[in-house]
Amino acid sequence: MALLRYAYYPGCASHEITKEANETTIVVAARLGIELVDMPKANCCGAGLLTDYDYPLSLALNARIFAEAESLGLDIMTICSTCLMVMNTANRDLRNSPELLEKTNAILARTGLRYGGNVKIKQLLWVLAGDYGIGNLKKQVVKPLNWIKAAPFYGCHSLRPSDALGFDDPMKPWSLEAVIEALGAESVDFKGKTKCCGFQIDLVDEETAAKMTATRLLDGKGKGANCFVTPCPFCHINLDNYQSLAEKAASKKISMPIFHLAQLVGLALGLSSGEMKLSRHLVSPEKIIK
Amino acid sequence: MKIKFKIKRYNPAEGEPAEPYFQAYTLDVEEGMSVLDALLKIADEQDTTLSFRRSCRSSICGSCAVNINGFARLSCATQVMPEYAKMGDMVIEPLSNHVPLKDLIVDFNPFWSRIEKVAPYLTPTSRRARRRGDVPARENDGARVTARDEEAIDKSQRCIMCGCCNSECNALEIDDRYIGPAALAKAWRLVGDVREGNSRKRLERLSEEHGMWNCVRCVHCTQYCPKSVSPLKQIESLRSRAMKEGVLDNPGAKHVEAMADSVKRVGRLDEAAMTFRTLGFLRSLGMIPFGLKMERHGKMPKPLLFPQIENIAEVRDIYEEAERLEKEDRERKKG
Repeated sequence: MALLRYAYYPGCASHEITKEANETTIVVAARLGIELVDMPKANCCGAGLLTDYDYPLSLALNARIFAEAESLGLDIMTICSTCLMVMNTANRDLRNSPELLEKTNAILARTGLRYGGNVKIKQLLWVLAGDYGIGNLKKQVVKPLNWIKAAPFYGCHSLRPSDALGFDDPMKPWSLEAVIEALGAESVDFKGKTKCCGFQIDLVDEETAAKMTATRLLDGKGKGANCFVTPCPFCHINLDNYQSLAEKAASKKISMPIFHLAQLVGLALGLSSGEMKLSRHLVSPEKIIK
Repeated sequence: MKIKFKIKRYNPAEGEPAEPYFQAYTLDVEEGMSVLDALLKIADEQDTTLSFRRSCRSSICGSCAVNINGFARLSCATQVMPEYAKMGDMVIEPLSNHVPLKDLIVDFNPFWSRIEKVAPYLTPTSRRARRRGDVPARENDGARVTARDEEAIDKSQRCIMCGCCNSECNALEIDDRYIGPAALAKAWRLVGDVREGNSRKRLERLSEEHGMWNCVRCVHCTQYCPKSVSPLKQIESLRSRAMKEGVLDNPGAKHVEAMADSVKRVGRLDEAAMTFRTLGFLRSLGMIPFGLKMERHGKMPKPLLFPQIENIAEVRDIYEEAERLEKEDRERKKG
C-alpha cells in the first residue's frame, strides 16, 4: 500500500478541551503507518461562526489554511466534522468560481500567500474507510471489540451538505458503521445518528441544547447501545462533557460512555485505555473496557 | 415489479385508532413512476380513504411534501425505482415537526404563522420619511434593482413553501417556538432587498429568543430543500447583515463577535474567552461549579496558556485587507 501522508489539522477543540482526540489520533495513525505532517501556521476555520461574521473574510482565512497544505503538496486530514464541513464548503465555493477564488486571493495578496484550488480536505473517518480501507483496517485488529455495541454518531457536519463533502451518503451513511464492524464491534442503528448534538447553540439557548443532547443519547441507548462513537470533538463535548446537563434536562440517568473515533480504533489495535486517555472523559468508559 | 409501500395512517374520526399506524399496500411499479404517482394509484385502485395533498405534479405548488424513508421530499419529484433500489424500503409518513390531520395531510397553520411573523412583504421607505430625513438614504433607495442586487436574494425567492426544511429542522424538533428555516429564508428575501426600508428593525426582531440565532447549523434544511433555496445560507446572510448593522446585543451575535476577535488575536478559538463574552459576567459565574467538574478531567479551557499560531500577523493582515477591499467595493458601488 502506498504511504499515506496528510497535512494534519486537528482543529481548535482538539488543541485544548478534547486534546485526547488529538493525542490518540497521533498514536493510532503512527500504528497504522499513516504519516501526519504538522501545520503550525494553520488558523481556525471559523467553525461556521466566521461565515456568519463575514463570508469573504471566512473564505480568505480558509484559503490561508489550504495554501499551507498546498505548499506542502498534501491533502488535509482533520479530526473535526465541523472543520471538515466549513473547509469543504469554502473549498467548494472557491473551486466552483474562478472569480471568487481571484477575489479571495486578492485578500491574501498582502501576506504573499496564494491558493491554487488544489487541496482536498478529509477527516480521519474518511481516511480509514476510504484511503486506508476497511479491509486493511480489519487486518490490523489484534483485539476485536466483540462486547461493544456502539451507536455510530455522525452528527451533522461529516455528512451535510453532501454537494461539498461528497464522501458518504447523508440518507444512508455507511462509513462509521463499517469502521465499527471492522473493529469487531457491533454497530447499533438509531434514527438520531445523523442529527445535531446541540453544540452550536450551547451558549445561545442552553435549554434546547441540553434537550437535544439528551434526545440523541436516549435514542441510541433505547436501541441497546453500550457506548457512542463519534468522529467529531464538538459532538463529544456535548455528549460527554455536558451529559450531566442532558440528564438534568431529561430528568433521567443516562450514563453513556462516548468514544472519539481514534480511541475505539486504538483499543482494537491493542493500545491500552491509558494510551487512549480514557480517564479524560467525564463519563468513564472504563467500565465497558475489557 | 411489485413493491410494498408502508404508509402512515391516521384518522381523528370516532371509531378509528387513536394513534397513527402503518398500513402496507403492494403495488406494481415501473421505471419513471414518482412516489406521487404511486400514492394516486393506491388511492385509485386499492383504498379511496387514503388522504394526501397534491396539485401540480411538477415541483411548483409545494403541496405534496411527505417523509419518504425518513427524509422530507416532494412526492412528485421522487422517483420510486431509484429510491427503492437505494433504500431497500418504501416508508411514507407525514412531514416531521408538523401535526397530522389525516393520513399524510398535516396542519400547515403553524407553518403560515411562522411565515407571518417575519411580515413577508416589502416595506419600502416612504418618500415622505426620506424627505424628512427620518431614515438614512440607502444606496439605491428603491429606484432600481440591479442584477447584482437581485443576485443576493435570488435563492431565497425560489421557495415554494412546501415545508420540507421545517420538517427536517433539528432546532424545531426540540424547540417548537423556534421560527424555523422557511420563515428565515423569507426574512432574508426582504432584509436583503435594496428597496426594503426596515431592515434594521427586522434584524432586531429576528435576533430575539427563538429567532435566527437559534439555528443549530445542522444543514438538514439545505440538504433536503427541493428547490435549492439553501435556507442555511440565507440565515448566514441575515446574521452577517446583523453583525454589519450593529445588532449585537444578544448571545448569538456576541458569540460570533467573540470568535472573530479570538481568531484575530491568537489565530484560534479561545474557548474560555468565548464563553465569558457570550454569557457575560453573571452567567459565567454560574458556570464555575460545572467548570470545576470538567477541570477534574483536565477539560477546563485555560485562556492564558493558549498558544498563538505561527505567523499570526498574516491573519491580522487578512482581516484588514478583507475590510479594506469591502469598503472599496461599497464605495465603487455608490459612486
